Amino acid sequence: MSRIALSAAFAALTLLFVPAAVAAAEASPSPAASTAPAPIAATPAPEATGPPPRTILYLNANRLDFFYNRFLIEGDGNVRLRTSDGFTVTGDAFSMDLKLNRFMVAGHVTLHDASGTVSGAAISDFLDFRRIYFVPVTGEPDRWTFLDGDLVHPAKGRVMPGDAFYFPSIGEHPSITGTGAVIDTKTYVRFINAHTYFLDAGIPLGSYVVNFSSNQYFAQNTLSGASVDLTWNLAGSPNALTALHLRYDPTYKTYLSVEQHFVGDHEYAIFSVNPATRDQKWWNLALYEKLGSRFQIQSFTQYYTQQDWLRLPQAAQQTTYISATYAFPHSYVQATSQLTNYNVLGPGSLNPGTVAGSLDHPSQVQITATSFQNKIPGLPIYEQIYEGYGFNHDSVGGLQYTQGSHGIPPIPVPGLQAYGSPCPDQHDAKNPPVYFCPVYTTIWNTVFGFNLFTPSLKLNNPTNPYETYYFNASYNKQYQWNSLPHWISTASENFSINRQFSRAVNTYLGYQILNVGDHYINGGYVPCEPAGTSFCPLSFTSFRGVSTLRTTSLGINFVPNPDFNFTMLVRHHVDYPIPVPNLFGQPPNNILGQPLYTSYLGQAPYDATGDVRLKILPHALLDVSRTFYWYGNPYRDQFWQPSFVIQVLPI
Amino acid sequence: MIRRSLTAVMAVLAIALIAAGSSVVVSGQLLAYQSGYVFFTTGDGFHVASDIVIRDAKTGGATPIKPAPRVWARATFNSSGTVTELDLSRDPLPPQGSFDDVSRYAVAVSSPVPNPDLLRNIETPPPGAPPEVVAASQHFSGRPVLVTFIVQVPPYTPFTASVYISTDQSGWNAQAIPMDRVDALHYAITRRFNSGTIFRYLYDRGSLQSQEVGQNGLARPPRNLTVTDADVRVIRDTVFAWQDSAPGGVSAPQPQVMPTPYNPAPFPNLPTCLPPPQPGGQRGHPPPNTGCPPP
Repeated sequence: MSRIALSAAFAALTLLFVPAAVAAAEASPSPAASTAPAPIAATPAPEATGPPPRTILYLNANRLDFFYNRFLIEGDGNVRLRTSDGFTVTGDAFSMDLKLNRFMVAGHVTLHDASGTVSGAAISDFLDFRRIYFVPVTGEPDRWTFLDGDLVHPAKGRVMPGDAFYFPSIGEHPSITGTGAVIDTKTYVRFINAHTYFLDAGIPLGSYVVNFSSNQYFAQNTLSGASVDLTWNLAGSPNALTALHLRYDPTYKTYLSVEQHFVGDHEYAIFSVNPATRDQKWWNLALYEKLGSRFQIQSFTQYYTQQDWLRLPQAAQQTTYISATYAFPHSYVQATSQLTNYNVLGPGSLNPGTVAGSLDHPSQVQITATSFQNKIPGLPIYEQIYEGYGFNHDSVGGLQYTQGSHGIPPIPVPGLQAYGSPCPDQHDAKNPPVYFCPVYTTIWNTVFGFNLFTPSLKLNNPTNPYETYYFNASYNKQYQWNSLPHWISTASENFSINRQFSRAVNTYLGYQILNVGDHYINGGYVPCEPAGTSFCPLSFTSFRGVSTLRTTSLGINFVPNPDFNFTMLVRHHVDYPIPVPNLFGQPPNNILGQPLYTSYLGQAPYDATGDVRLKILPHALLDVSRTFYWYGNPYRDQFWQPSFVIQVLPI
Repeated sequence: MIRRSLTAVMAVLAIALIAAGSSVVVSGQLLAYQSGYVFFTTGDGFHVASDIVIRDAKTGGATPIKPAPRVWARATFNSSGTVTELDLSRDPLPPQGSFDDVSRYAVAVSSPVPNPDLLRNIETPPPGAPPEVVAASQHFSGRPVLVTFIVQVPPYTPFTASVYISTDQSGWNAQAIPMDRVDALHYAITRRFNSGTIFRYLYDRGSLQSQEVGQNGLARPPRNLTVTDADVRVIRDTVFAWQDSAPGGVSAPQPQVMPTPYNPAPFPNLPTCLPPPQPGGQRGHPPPNTGCPPP
């Protein structure tokens, strides 16, 4: 049974995966002119006359150096270059700026095509502009320009751009070296016999792909965060990229992950296994498609397995999110769905004779219409409204109170919610009633909300701009009415005043009030007993489902130069219910040790977070942060000191 | 007699001075050295004397460096424009002379012809021209420019959220440029870019699942920025919505985080000893005397 379920899940993943991959593979590349993130030539270049044709360069040399921070390839010794444009070039040295999309071969150059062979001193190909500048040596030097790929009829004597034959100035070690490369212009490079270097020691990589496409879909990923991620791009093409990741995070320690991208102009499909070398594996699949200019649909599926390599899993869970959006001229409608199965393997799969944990498989669909942000006439205030309808369903536990048997209580999940009168069968509970009927396995809801906000308002007008104070405010109100007699209201007000004291120092003072009301038309939260004890403090005993969280924040940013940041955020919370150490559950952390959500009951009254970011390598940033929590009276000795969060971020 | 002698000496001196003055020295980087010519990265090729002297540029003595592409050289031209000496170095040499002074010696079979490609770019770009056209037509010095990004985020952005800029320059790394909150609605960061840099960028909250989307809820195309020559540039942008937290929507997925079971109450971290909401008049089972787990 479990094997069938697993096979079915994989089949579903495959069915989702293949069409998108095919669509991505069929998509044509669209290199866009003038989008290169690199300095433009000091000398003007000819204007592009349309999208340049895609060109593939097959390059070999005694040594090729790649400089990641500048996207330069420099080659020396026995340079041999073959292009998909139909000519070959040999020479002594090679230089290519991948972002400017131009290359040069210099020294004892031969240019060979179908019409013959010409010798020369250097050749430079401005691929975007379809201009090839050549210095032939036919007895004496000359200057030829080949226009629009015509190698037979050179324009002789044409003045050339002043930097047509310049070598870039480089004073650093290469990121990658190799002896061969396949370069697909404006998309990717695959190095052959590649090596990278750590402390000047060469690390052989074999094949290594650098993708420098301007298509941001290549960067879409399905991996979770990690403290350190070393990526080895094994293979690539204009529409695909295969990567092996060596990663470290505080939860799973060191492990390997695999990720595959398929990318088109308007779609992508990304699949990953992370960690691939731990028993806890997350199989991820992200799909995206944009159809026309007004509609897009995307999905994200996670399949969690606990298994030894690829053996039969001991546990498996699955969740899928689907989101479809249709844009109107001044609003949009979005349908989102979440489908979860907490136990794909079924009852008894964990260990023989056990109930198998949660059998929930809730489904949720929400359709929401949202307006654009509109300025209220005559006021410096913007508004935005939204309204939605939702459907939630989980059949597990629908007959909860009739389940169970002598000595074995029913499963603990009462559908989505049990709310009503006591059920007839209380299963010998000693303090009845414990079980309530009916059990709601389906809940409909309606959501309405609006945002009001004002962007920065100047509070004064001094001559020195560093003495200016700005004021910001925002207000959000949302109601959610459910099909059972239950409604939820939230209100959030934010105010802040900020001032920049100098170019390097900025501060702000903020105040936020968050009200969350969980209202039941009849009944609701029952008091905690026994009242007044350390386990049921008075504020919590009087809690009936309406909380108020007030936060005062003081933030300081110190940025003396672009390579160093220091930020400090100190907050004071005045909350109802009043927080008591260890009474409320703490929010779960992500794998880096950071809490998944930041507003919750039981926040420590004070917290301070320091964050330092500094550049440690030309293309690496070190980010170290730590949050310190502490209580006031009567719990002054209660401190929380989570560990440092350290990340090395490529820039 | 004396006058004649003085005149002759003066004439010899003048000839010597003229001869000495006709020697021109220019430094630059070599493009090629072949077929009796030396080529510099200007693309100009010059005759090389058959008895050319090749020395080390630093020591003035013999050098193992061969004239080749990338090698830096100080070239001495005689009065006829032939290179008679090359002083070589693998490191850049201090600028000396100008190739404008020796361009007349450059050898080329064909006469120079104006290049219409280059002339076209002298024209002033039309007002309101798109960035790409402007970029192709402007000159940039490549000087470092401080660029400050200030972005207004949606009012429902979590107060402790981190906001980043991802760019094609960093491979769309979602955490490439961390920003600092400056007030309830704005984040800012200053970075240094060389003028002439063109890049595309988007804002996000640390992952590509939390990237900004357009006001119409659809994934938006990246923003374009061309860094022009200036001391400081200030870029002001507005993010209308995040992909993972549209108003009224459900939370979007985060990798490696299984969702919690549907919970009708908005307080996911209530003490476990508190019974679920009950109808009026009914009391749930009271918590055991031990209450919540002891601290």
